[in-house]
Amino acid sequence: MDSEDEVQAPAPISIELDSLDVSYDAQAPVKGQGRMDAAWGSSQGDEVNTAQVAPSKDTTGFIFEQVYQPWNGTLNPRWMRNWAILRHHVAGIFRKGHRPWSIPTRLFLVVVFIASLADVGLTLLSALIGSADLHSVWGVNRDNLYGHVLGFFPRNVLYFPIVAALLVGGVISEDRLHGTSALYFSRPINRFDYVMMKYLSVAIIQAMIVLLTLFLYYFAEIVSMGRGWAWIIDTFPLFLAAFAGGTLLIITYTSIGLGLSSVSKGKFFPGIGLIAIVLGSKTLAIIVSQLFDREILYLLSPYDCLAHVGQALIGTEPTYDQYSWTWSLASLVAMNALSLYVLSSRVSSMEVTRE
Amino acid sequence: MVDDYIINTTDLCKSYGPHMALEGLNLKVEKGATGLLGPNGAGKSTFLKTILGLIQATSGEGTVLGHDIRTEGAAIRSRIGYMPEYEALNPDMDAIYQVRYSGELLGMNPVVAMSRAHEALQYVGLGEQRYRNIGSFSTGMKQATKLACAIIHDPELIIADEPSNGLDAVAREFMITTLQNTVKTGNRSVLMASHLMDDVERVCENIVLLHKGKLAAQGRIEDLKDIDREIEIHVWGGATKLEELMTKAGLTVRREGRIMRIQHMGEDTTNLILKCAAESGAQIRRMHEYEASLEDLFLVIMENLGYEVKTSEDLLRSPVQARQVDAPKSMGGGS
Repeated sequence: MDSEDEVQAPAPISIELDSLDVSYDAQAPVKGQGRMDAAWGSSQGDEVNTAQVAPSKDTTGFIFEQVYQPWNGTLNPRWMRNWAILRHHVAGIFRKGHRPWSIPTRLFLVVVFIASLADVGLTLLSALIGSADLHSVWGVNRDNLYGHVLGFFPRNVLYFPIVAALLVGGVISEDRLHGTSALYFSRPINRFDYVMMKYLSVAIIQAMIVLLTLFLYYFAEIVSMGRGWAWIIDTFPLFLAAFAGGTLLIITYTSIGLGLSSVSKGKFFPGIGLIAIVLGSKTLAIIVSQLFDREILYLLSPYDCLAHVGQALIGTEPTYDQYSWTWSLASLVAMNALSLYVLSSRVSSMEVTRE
Repeated sequence: MVDDYIINTTDLCKSYGPHMALEGLNLKVEKGATGLLGPNGAGKSTFLKTILGLIQATSGEGTVLGHDIRTEGAAIRSRIGYMPEYEALNPDMDAIYQVRYSGELLGMNPVVAMSRAHEALQYVGLGEQRYRNIGSFSTGMKQATKLACAIIHDPELIIADEPSNGLDAVAREFMITTLQNTVKTGNRSVLMASHLMDDVERVCENIVLLHKGKLAAQGRIEDLKDIDREIEIHVWGGATKLEELMTKAGLTVRREGRIMRIQHMGEDTTNLILKCAAESGAQIRRMHEYEASLEDLFLVIMENLGYEVKTSEDLLRSPVQARQVDAPKSMGGGS
């Protein structure tokens, strides 16, 4: 056989049915031959009793071809890896493709952000109306700057502790739960960078709520009331003091929250735990204060310690009379130190091979 | 000096208090695919953590890809891809973003990481599924995603911890093929820890066998198999007499009914068997070299080390006896 014959396509298959005498009675069971007749046609009623099957023209092909693609790029240094962690958490609030914050968390953040801008709106309103009385109530002053950051109701009951609880809930505990800690620690990321970037991420998101709105409040006053340099120079230390108070609040809530998150595998416990510590200790201190006229238990309440230190920083009327604000500051330092100790020891024991 | 070995350890020890997890480990792992074997508690995880630079060795030295495991952990982790055994993916993320993030954590530019994530997911067979939520993935797809995370930066060494664990036949086959391709066409090295001997045998040329923190065996699988080279004969009539004669002749015989396995003693082993058969009048109806599987080899080495390891066949064959606990009598074990 020559080569031309070899490459020729096979001839169509023809089946001659003339010679077949196929007949069945009504009760005949349908077996292989019956199915063949049904498929190819029987000798009765077919005008052309030749079945033709076209030869297959399909060639062997690949639906999936596995090809290893090398990569010759260069990996960026430490700061880029840290930026990746920060970006992953913070950008996740705004868009898909990063840390998947839950919809309720995102919605709550939007609501709290808008609610935290209430004093901005009222300042603008008072400026628009031109009422000095209203402005004295809503505009920027020592008490209102304190209230924007450290006022108990509604901000430190309904806003900030809940925001912190929602944010810290799963930040570390979910790495334990899903085993994603292995993803971090099998990369050139050390434990300090891991904790620090997670800490900063949570703190930055809280800062958008607490400090950005404080800045907008101050800025709205300047713009709407046409404040000059003299006023700014006069009030800027107050703004800075409120800013410091807010920073202290963010640090404290983040430390306690992440400490709780590091000892858990779920996001419920850290969240509820943080709210319980902030509001529970406050409630207990109020009860003891009312019953026994002793304020000492306020030293165990993170919020009250923050408020006491904040009052001293901003210079508002102090509401804690029985001890110095330095005790509250010392208590805050102790709370943060304890939380950070728990956080660091738990993170250092996180496994890359098994949790 | 450039190190020829991808992993090289000298007297590597790691202790947790009085417990020695690794004891005087002298390993030299060459490029290519190497299986890391050992029963539970053998020290595999500790070894992996030590070479990743995640825990400090108590004593001894070691290098991975030429980097010191004591001081250059970050550099090592930049150049290797680690595929963990357990869940290591966020189920709420899409696969593409998870793989991209794993690249970013290595220091890749986000745009480059995204581009590589597409390539890596395509390579592991998830090209069409890359925008699906990981929570909706099957176990095989999750394993493939973990592999994509490990290879996104084209590492020189991929450490795969139980890569085919919990996979069905199709997914397991695909995973093994992918690892083979990575070694053969990708020219990358793989260190594969697995309990599935068949998988290790298919992917790897070399093995490292750990036992109670010590190195039990190391080398090419084919070479190590020679430790357990046997000749298998099927005998008809006079099997007991033949067994006696062969034992007297100094051969080591294992018998199960009419089938006997005689340890290869040298070139004359076959002649000696035939001579014994002629003397005993037994018929040898079949004779062939018995090629041990990696599992057989594993069992032989473990038995030599005085640790009873049971195969699944053992468990099926004599359920009562074989399922006895290999624990000290003081702990309620033993027979």
